[in-house]
Amino acid sequence: MFGWLERNPFFFAVGVFIVIAFAGLIEIVPDFAQASRPVAGTKPYSLLRLAGRQVYIKDSCNACHSQLIRPFKSETDRYGNYSLSGEYAYDRPFLWGSKRTGPDLHRVGNYRTSDWHANHMWDPTSVVPGSIMPAYKHMFTNVADLETAYAEALTVKKVFNVPYDKDIDGDGKVDVPLGSFEQAKKQALAEALKIAKETKREDLVKMVESGKIPEIVALIAYLNGLK
Amino acid sequence: MQSPAIEYDYTVAKWFSYLAILFGILGMGVGVLIAFQLAFPDLNYIFGQYSLFSRLRPIHTNTVAFGFTLSGIFATWYYVGQRVLKVSMKESKFLMTVGKLHFWLYFIGALLAVASLLVRYTTSKEYAQFEWPFDIVVVIVWVLWGISIFGLIGIRREKSLYISLWYYIATFLGVAMLYLFNNMEVPTYLITGMGDPLHSVSMYSGSNDALVQWWYGHNAVAFVFTVPIIAMIYYYLPKESGQPVYSYKLSLLSFWGLMFVYLWAGGHHLIYSTVPDWMQTMGSIFSIILILPSWGSALNMLLTMKGEWGQLKENPLIKFMVLASTFYMLSTLEGPIQSIKSVNALAHFTDWIPGHVHDGTLGWVGFMIIAALMHMAPRFYKREIYSKKLLEAQFWLQTTGIVLYFSSMWIAGITQGMMWRAVDQYGNLAYSFIDTVTVLHPYYTLRAIGGLFYLVGLFMWAYNFFKTMTASRAIEREPQFASPMAA
Amino acid sequence: MEDIRFIQGVAYIIFTIFLTLILYGYIIHLYRSEKKGERDYEKYAKMALDDELDSPPVDKRDEKEREKKLKRSSE
Repeated sequence: MFGWLERNPFFFAVGVFIVIAFAGLIEIVPDFAQASRPVAGTKPYSLLRLAGRQVYIKDSCNACHSQLIRPFKSETDRYGNYSLSGEYAYDRPFLWGSKRTGPDLHRVGNYRTSDWHANHMWDPTSVVPGSIMPAYKHMFTNVADLETAYAEALTVKKVFNVPYDKDIDGDGKVDVPLGSFEQAKKQALAEALKIAKETKREDLVKMVESGKIPEIVALIAYLNGLK
Repeated sequence: MQSPAIEYDYTVAKWFSYLAILFGILGMGVGVLIAFQLAFPDLNYIFGQYSLFSRLRPIHTNTVAFGFTLSGIFATWYYVGQRVLKVSMKESKFLMTVGKLHFWLYFIGALLAVASLLVRYTTSKEYAQFEWPFDIVVVIVWVLWGISIFGLIGIRREKSLYISLWYYIATFLGVAMLYLFNNMEVPTYLITGMGDPLHSVSMYSGSNDALVQWWYGHNAVAFVFTVPIIAMIYYYLPKESGQPVYSYKLSLLSFWGLMFVYLWAGGHHLIYSTVPDWMQTMGSIFSIILILPSWGSALNMLLTMKGEWGQLKENPLIKFMVLASTFYMLSTLEGPIQSIKSVNALAHFTDWIPGHVHDGTLGWVGFMIIAALMHMAPRFYKREIYSKKLLEAQFWLQTTGIVLYFSSMWIAGITQGMMWRAVDQYGNLAYSFIDTVTVLHPYYTLRAIGGLFYLVGLFMWAYNFFKTMTASRAIEREPQFASPMAA
Repeated sequence: MEDIRFIQGVAYIIFTIFLTLILYGYIIHLYRSEKKGERDYEKYAKMALDDELDSPPVDKRDEKEREKKLKRSSE
């Protein structure tokens, strides 16, 4: 019986495939529906924050920073409440990371401010002496790609029914408006101006006023929203 | 028996060997640079924003895993495949064309993919960072390899498949399945007609995405860093030493054991995360069971050398392979220990994890590929290996490098893990995060030096290989077992 | 949801037992058939050692079948 399998490469391959596919099938498939339900209060990313999230991904911040607070006292003391599955419902991709060369960022919005971030990204050692994080100065001049962010928001709205332009919590108001690109951009600029002013950096304010959002402003919007 | 006038054709095997050396030096060169960056942050700016740590880390991992290792896997496949099936690629024009196409598409695709990471195109999922157009190239390359495997098997003279081939087939199937499912993504441009055409968004969200990613991430380690390397050692160690595998039956059992157990262990990357508890527990348990088939293969290799330990002294290639098996045993014991829940609570997110990965990759994967290429070189060029002394020196230098690497990372990881949770007499956290970073400076420096040793070893290897190809003394015919080498 | 959970659990247990039995069956099969002298597994180890194009295969393949495949692949 078994000698036969080893002389028939096709059936051998089928056998190997069944054995290795089995684990994935049992492990992953049945939990899909449950794990992707958002917890109350979780909302999709606004256009500006989504653009910031794309900057976070583009420069692989997740290579050194996690976004997953484990249920230990030492972690909740340091970073805040432990993470819940439903909080990640609109995270595509997930950004848990696998290595904390720097601290966890899942609730960084609770304890850092816009100007702290701006100073930190310009020169990390100026606010954290001894930091080994490099400066990300190109984010202060690069313009955030709102079109791609809008394309992503529209895609997840269309394909995965992410509730943009909907009343999620039932208070009769639209929670996260998206609308057309022009509408979304207008709103992103308004949010960006507020953050740019908070950073107390003239160059950033000027850029936003001229209709261009620097990547750093989008990134800060994203980080401030991590709560 | 019939004696065909043709010979084995090593063209494609040679090409992939060159690539393995090239990508090895590139990938590990970047690795050494980013290791030094952690100790000396000013090195982040030597090429402006293109040398920032976060930009280079994915390039390091991808170049080493999918450049160096895959090239090594393909090179050895195009060599071992012909030999154990007793059929030459010359016998089929079609397979020869497929092989060459496979090489060129892979080479060009790899260069473009690395370039794309350098200019910030990434999906952020570890070891699956490439954006969707490159994923499609990867799939085509993989299909070509599949045609080459099953095509060659189709025209074989040897009816039974040698154990190495089982592992190559499993590599092919495993990676195909994992890569496809983990890279399911929706290109946003195709849906909306605006924005960056290369951008895509994952089909899975949040915890599901994490689950699929680590099912992939862990098993990509299985099917790129373990399974095909076992395929290599089952051929090269017996061949170089002239000893048959200690127990062929054990090799068959270990194979099925490994196939069944490995896929379950992925959950250990997500212990104490938000994925369901039973899956985390399953990840732990199966990781421990995984010791059995892993050690089955490794012991089988070591026992193959039974009564022939003299060769270990005489032949540097045997040294490389025996140490590779030993490191395989070490990292397949270390991994399960790290996946025990209480250990994981300490070790996760710390430098102990990269330390563990590098035991396996530098010691097991790297050494095996180095030995395999040096075993093939005299057969490729009908010349003896240029310098035994250089090979010996490389072995000792690289071994020292690995020891420096993992010992410093063990200490760094455990130190950091302990400091993160340390509390003072009032129950407050004793250290701020930055305290736990600055304390690592000496270990980061040591690690980088260890990596540098290994990289220098790679240059010695490249030089030795090049000299073997061009300047070494010619030999009459292919050696049967031990590779001839000049002092 | 609970139904899926239940099916998941049952499928997992059954398949694991099934595969474990197969694995044990395989071990018994390997050793028994060698003891009875039906097959010699250890001879396969020679495939790596005697791997010249002209060394005799351990299990020779039917030459006609091979020619047929070879023709198809070189067309």
